Amino acid sequence: MSEILQYVHKDGFFHRLHPFSKILFIIVASVMCVFVTSIPFLILMVVALLVIAYASHLHREVIQQLKLVLIMSVVFIIITVLTMPNGATLGYLIPQGVPVIGGSIAITDGAIGIGLILALRFMVLIFAFQLFLISTQPRDLVHAMEKLHMPIDYILMFILALRFIPTLQIEGQRIHEAQLARGYNPGTGMIGKIKSVAPIVIPLVSNALLRSNVLGLTIDMRGYRTGIRTHVRERKFCTGDYAMMGGLAVTVSGFVVIAIFASGLIF
Amino acid sequence: MIELKDVSYTYPHTVQEALHRLSLVLEPGRCIMVTGPSGAGKTTLCLAACGILCHEYGGKKSGLVTINGRDVSTYTGLSEIAKNIGIVFDDAEAQMIFTTVEEEILSALEYRGITPEEIEKRLASIMEVTYLTELKNRSPHNLSGGQKQRAALAATLALGNDILILDEPTSELDEHATRRIVEILSNLKKQGKTILLVEHKYAHFRDMVDTLVVMEHGAISAIGAPEDVLKDERIRRIVIPDFTGIRNGAAPALFASSPAISVRHLSYSYDEVPALHDVSIEISAGEFVAIVGENGSGKTTLVKQFNRLLIPTAGDVLIRGKNTRDCTITDLARDVGLVFQNPDHMFFADTVKDEIAFGLENLGIKNKNDVIDAALDEVGLLHTKTLYPRWLSRGERQRLAIACVVAMQPAIIVLDEPTTGLDGDEARLVMEILKNLQVKGHTIIVITHNRDIAQYCADRMITMDQGRVISDTQVME
Repeated sequence: MSEILQYVHKDGFFHRLHPFSKILFIIVASVMCVFVTSIPFLILMVVALLVIAYASHLHREVIQQLKLVLIMSVVFIIITVLTMPNGATLGYLIPQGVPVIGGSIAITDGAIGIGLILALRFMVLIFAFQLFLISTQPRDLVHAMEKLHMPIDYILMFILALRFIPTLQIEGQRIHEAQLARGYNPGTGMIGKIKSVAPIVIPLVSNALLRSNVLGLTIDMRGYRTGIRTHVRERKFCTGDYAMMGGLAVTVSGFVVIAIFASGLIF
Repeated sequence: MIELKDVSYTYPHTVQEALHRLSLVLEPGRCIMVTGPSGAGKTTLCLAACGILCHEYGGKKSGLVTINGRDVSTYTGLSEIAKNIGIVFDDAEAQMIFTTVEEEILSALEYRGITPEEIEKRLASIMEVTYLTELKNRSPHNLSGGQKQRAALAATLALGNDILILDEPTSELDEHATRRIVEILSNLKKQGKTILLVEHKYAHFRDMVDTLVVMEHGAISAIGAPEDVLKDERIRRIVIPDFTGIRNGAAPALFASSPAISVRHLSYSYDEVPALHDVSIEISAGEFVAIVGENGSGKTTLVKQFNRLLIPTAGDVLIRGKNTRDCTITDLARDVGLVFQNPDHMFFADTVKDEIAFGLENLGIKNKNDVIDAALDEVGLLHTKTLYPRWLSRGERQRLAIACVVAMQPAIIVLDEPTTGLDGDEARLVMEILKNLQVKGHTIIVITHNRDIAQYCADRMITMDQGRVISDTQVME
């Protein structure tokens, strides 16, 4: 089973970057995608991220999230169609031919546009954070956060939250199989998901709590909270980092210039 | 050196003592092995010995614990105690914090106040000692059970402490992986390390154990040199599982002529990783079959095909004449009951009774109360009917998992490592229950690392290696 949002050991461009460069990269990507309302510009950002993923040999891992991203995109568009109708009506969710309720939910171009913007922003955020997480060892992340003077307990909390993702993923699969073997058939779709909550979630949470207790004790007994650390194999700024900084500086400057003089391109 | 004097402990919100007036001395360079039934207080003893009970747990405490002559309560906390003691808990997976094996060990070394050169030297040495060099870039979550145990041990060894506490370091390991851990610990002992070991596999560790401790109901019921302790027949049965005579206990039902399970040229791959290659076996109704093999040999992958949790990549699996490809998992649950290795993966109800009722409701079985009583009676747990399942001991939870499946009245019962983490008496009890079920007409299939189970309980032993059946023999005691 492939692990979600976990470090992948490779030697690509993104892996060689200093965590600070990567943090700056996701900050720039996140801020830009939040401000931008132009669909072509957001598509350009998504394409740029996919190109970076390809150049860093991480495209396979990034593409793995595509299913989730597409499902969420459809959900965003449906929500905006249902809740934010504006602009020209393109059709109806319930065809007009249906008696009584036919033609009651209008699909408008404005709602689809907003849905697309939300979906594309979501894609940018997911791809950027995924690139960061799968190319950065938690140890490097701890060092970077320590340099930012974050308290060690908060750093460990963040690392452990990431670490629990594959644990819950694997454990959830095992519990699901154990309940299926007992003839459990919650059905598919949303109703099935709701029905399966207790038999899956209760053992999952109970086991996770036991695990977190052991994990907490392990952290203490390995002395991670002493705060006294020998600096070894620390990442240094390399050519790639300067290239990334330069690229980000040009991108941000270009973005500001476009925002001032040709705002129609991005807003 | 660790010394416990008259230590008693009661967990918060409970009334029964987990440790009762326990005294024990772990002298430098010695190895004490602690064994006993599940729920006897072995893990609590480990927590007491390394000061975790004193510093992290509430509850009622009395007595004195000293580490290297100093009262544990005078240490500032676990970080200070960690300079003296390394502990490996039984759940290796829970101790994996980082994303590669090397990172896991390196991170532990970084907080020891040693120079970068010393860190690199120690890292290489520990990787070599624990046979992890080739796995250094692997994700700990994707390692086998034995590899995870070694990674957890390596991260603890990185601390460089002279006292090691190990809570069931080989519980889920096969023979080969267990021997590796034994070899590592024997070498550590020769280097002068002091070891407190909680284990059920005495036979593997006998050469390195100086003192054998048997715990029952939170107290020490036997302590001394292993040869002296094992003179007591009752204690011996707890320490060393004895499965002799189980096969001959009662005459099994006659094997029906039609096969219960027919596996034909079965191959299976996880994504693109092959796990089973052209496996063909037939299991007759009423047979007791043991499937043995090392971790990763394909045993669990094979039995998951029996109830369609996995669908063959090639070939067919027929259950009582029905091809699994044409059935649903729910249909097959009426024919095949599968008890997984960790019973805690299934328990979610508030009472033992409700836990069993869950399977019955899924299959629409009538007379629930009678069926539940009969199933609990079968496994000797009728008295626990109204208890919360997770309050039961490991051995009782294992038996409850069997009851959950038995109540569903499947013709075939498959169990994945049913004696993991159980002492000798509990393991024998589980095997006797399975033998009784065979006598009542069930087909029993047990996945096990323990060849004694195959030798003394099963009618037939199927050995798997690298996804293939390499031998299939009738067993003669």
